[in-house]
Amino acid sequence: MDLIYGETMFASLLSTGLVLPHSGRQSAQGDVRSHLTVEAAVTHDGREDLRVDLLVAEDESVSQGQPLMRLRAAPGIALVAPMAGRVARIDLHPGHRLSQLVLFHDKGGDRHKFETKGAASRTTELRVLLQESGLWRTLRSRPFGRMPRAGETPAAIFVMAVDSKPGAPAPLTAIAGREEDFIGGLDALSRLSDAKFFLCEPQGQSFPGQVPAPVTRLSVGATHPQGLAGFVVHRHFPARADAPVWDIHAEDLADLGSLLSTGYLPETRLVAITGDALRDSALVRCQPGADLRGLSQSLVRPGPHDVLSGSILDGRPAHWLGTRERQVAVLERTSGPDARHWFVGALKRAATHAPIIPTAALDQALGGALPAAALVRALASGDTETFMQLGGLSLVEEDLALADYATGARPRLAAQLRAILTRIAVEEDAA
Amino acid sequence: MRRGLWDREMVALLLLLAMMPMVLAWLGFEGTDALGRLIFTLMISGFWHLTFMLARAQPPSFAGVLTGVAVAMLAPQDLSILQLIIGISFGSVMAELVFGGWGRNVLNPATVTLAFLGFGFPTSPWHDFAVPIAWAAIPALAIGAFFGVMSARLILGALAVAVVAVLSGLAVGAVLPMSGIVLALLVTDPVASATTPLGRWLNGALYGALIVLFAVGWQGAAAAQIAVSAALLSSLAAPLLDEIAIALWTARRRRRHG
Repeated sequence: MDLIYGETMFASLLSTGLVLPHSGRQSAQGDVRSHLTVEAAVTHDGREDLRVDLLVAEDESVSQGQPLMRLRAAPGIALVAPMAGRVARIDLHPGHRLSQLVLFHDKGGDRHKFETKGAASRTTELRVLLQESGLWRTLRSRPFGRMPRAGETPAAIFVMAVDSKPGAPAPLTAIAGREEDFIGGLDALSRLSDAKFFLCEPQGQSFPGQVPAPVTRLSVGATHPQGLAGFVVHRHFPARADAPVWDIHAEDLADLGSLLSTGYLPETRLVAITGDALRDSALVRCQPGADLRGLSQSLVRPGPHDVLSGSILDGRPAHWLGTRERQVAVLERTSGPDARHWFVGALKRAATHAPIIPTAALDQALGGALPAAALVRALASGDTETFMQLGGLSLVEEDLALADYATGARPRLAAQLRAILTRIAVEEDAA
Repeated sequence: MRRGLWDREMVALLLLLAMMPMVLAWLGFEGTDALGRLIFTLMISGFWHLTFMLARAQPPSFAGVLTGVAVAMLAPQDLSILQLIIGISFGSVMAELVFGGWGRNVLNPATVTLAFLGFGFPTSPWHDFAVPIAWAAIPALAIGAFFGVMSARLILGALAVAVVAVLSGLAVGAVLPMSGIVLALLVTDPVASATTPLGRWLNGALYGALIVLFAVGWQGAAAAQIAVSAALLSSLAAPLLDEIAIALWTARRRRRHG
């Protein structure tokens, strides 16, 4: 797979970002089918430390939206059932750390009704409702890119109605027909704190409705990585350890709106299934935590393939759809058995990996937003001071995924970023 | 999961591709003599890359070919084989390989080699090129900038200074062809030049300004000597220019965001 990157010089004058090759055909943005998979799961996202107290047992029937477990560190925060069904399996790691809780779908199941009285206008009630309904988990706090702490107050909130990841479903399509809910959610969340509130929209295609007054509307470029929350945050309101910045997907905000108006959590989210191992790509509405094999089974061509939760850039092999993910990438498995010459093997397995050369490709992969070569050097040397000075605290893994792809960096920049963020987080928590 | 193609070896190969017009013109004009020199420099450079791979498990790079090409084209004439071996060994090993290979070095190994040879053996006359080879530097720079492996800002910065110097009537005409060749061979090396947008403008402008300064004030210096010295000094200053650019950038951000 290569990268269309011919007009580097001119592209840098006109826009910043990379045009990526299409991975499979993009389906028309209209024929959305609803597809609830037979199994779904509540999982941790790979690096979260979710110590939980279970509220249900195996084989118990649960209704959609019913709290399944609470965090030990913050009992107010619940993880809820993505669909009505029966608890099939609960896997916990030592120390009551959640591995996964699998549900079997039950067609005639109930929906859990939440107490929403006063939540639309009073901040304490809204905070309780967000944490009780599991929507708290759709918020992401920077620095460190984690679920916000239970009592955390943001300095700014970014609502992402734009997503430039290759193959991502357009957020405005996801909330089409739900404008009322979206504005309701916007209105409620903007009153959660006196944080600055930004609505990020794609250029030339803004949200049709009237937004509440305290919301600043930002027009964001469509070339990846301009539409990632990290670079918007970096540009307009850099996150600091003492001034966290939250971001939330527009569809999750619309979910908050419908929760407030009806008391029920919406059952589905819009998910795009793309990749070069598919006969056809598709947009589906499925439950959070859906079974990825079940979703993609009818679309996949025969042959070995990998199913990723996330885009082709930042996805990771997974069985279940990730907490905040709205994309499934199904890729042909390329890595076969290594039967190369010993000399080539010696070159590949050198003691040190080849460094990244600061070319225009690297600058563009970071959207021209910050001194790319200096950031890469700070990451490689673990220089936290320079890293923070360059604005690295606004970034999370997905923001460096494009640079990883473009430069083929080893070890991955995203992994280096996570390592340095973890170190800073430990220092901050100790202080 | 998937990997793009802009890794180190791809960049080195694209730089090599960009230099092809110049290298082919040079080989065409100077014939088998030049070819022999090129093969010789490539062998020495390759020897050191292989040595470091076997001794230190350090991945070799096509950047060694870039060093070989630049040294073969620009090295002073009439050097003995031993002198050439010492020069390239010093440049490759001390300026590149001991740092961990291309991408981790500070200076371009070819620049160091040439400065070493030029100042270490000052009796050998510097090389001079037929004018068409200098014309071939233009497509070389264009290809490099098109693929983004050379910085367009750096090239334009140097060009702007050259234009100003010519318009103001300074006697720089004699060194301009050689300056263009050295710009394409040594100064635009993405590793040894500045990496920030402002730093790149300054880097190019500094190279141009040094050329003008030496052309006007350095009596009796050959064109190649002037250009290589300017390349060495501007490359030494590149980290400083980056520091300045980043300091300005952070100051501006601090003013805007507090």
